Amino acid sequence: MSEIRTLIVDDSSVMRKIVERSLRQAGLDPLIVHEAGNGADGLELLKVKTVDLILSDINMPAMDGLEFLRQLRAQNLAPGVPVVMITTESSEEHVKQAILAGAQGYIRKPFTAEQVKERVLPLLDAA
Amino acid sequence: MACSLRESVHLVSDPRNLDASVEEVFQLMLGVDCRRDAGPAEMEPELVTAVVGFGGLLSGACVFRTGGSAAMKIAACMTGMEFAGIDDTVKDGIGEICNMLAGAWKGKVPDLSANCGLSVPAVITGRDYNIHVQAPEFKLEHTYRFGDSRFAVTIVCDAIQ
Repeated sequence: MSEIRTLIVDDSSVMRKIVERSLRQAGLDPLIVHEAGNGADGLELLKVKTVDLILSDINMPAMDGLEFLRQLRAQNLAPGVPVVMITTESSEEHVKQAILAGAQGYIRKPFTAEQVKERVLPLLDAA
Repeated sequence: MACSLRESVHLVSDPRNLDASVEEVFQLMLGVDCRRDAGPAEMEPELVTAVVGFGGLLSGACVFRTGGSAAMKIAACMTGMEFAGIDDTVKDGIGEICNMLAGAWKGKVPDLSANCGLSVPAVITGRDYNIHVQAPEFKLEHTYRFGDSRFAVTIVCDAIQ
């Protein structure tokens, strides 16, 4: 598999590490990981970095994950790049909001590496 | 149609939901089994406490409390790193555990999941504090053990609509 450039947006550095480890366990290796602590930092990073996959939390300070998604689309940053939300918010309403904002996938915390694999790999194959 | 949780307080306050949430989070994110412990909640001289607030149809908080060495063990299980003290990574890990517990707990009741938001976690170190709620609608406080470590999880609901 060729290098997968990934942006992980989460205000928890521990969670960013867990997501990275899960991606590697899912077979995404070699993996280049860029990290951001909130949506605003994620947008700034995408102005200078090219990525193949974005994983984002929803509940974050400064700019939450849904606003990050809306801005991503409005500013046409990372067009065609799949975005997967990884969050503790799991109601149908939250999933609907994320899909409407432009997410292609949704993973509920807590999660297993197997769940990450099931939801992320098909999106990368399709991209 | 306006949604209310008043009719389903018995579901929301079911103590089995808290036990199931704790087991789920610790099994999936730490790979460890934990079980309810009948002993007192006090553990070590140094405490790490994380609080995640609920807002919406239910207001209140999820509080996760553990000793310093147990907090380091939990962070080590989450990250694969070793810790010599309660640094920012340990505090961040405990905050995230509390966040996932709060999310898993409210996810057990669909109306609660859809109509109750979570705050970002706040983490407190030290033991000279009290969390005071005037007249809670209900309060669940359970102590758990994994290996030789213990922690306590409290769900306190101060208002329900």
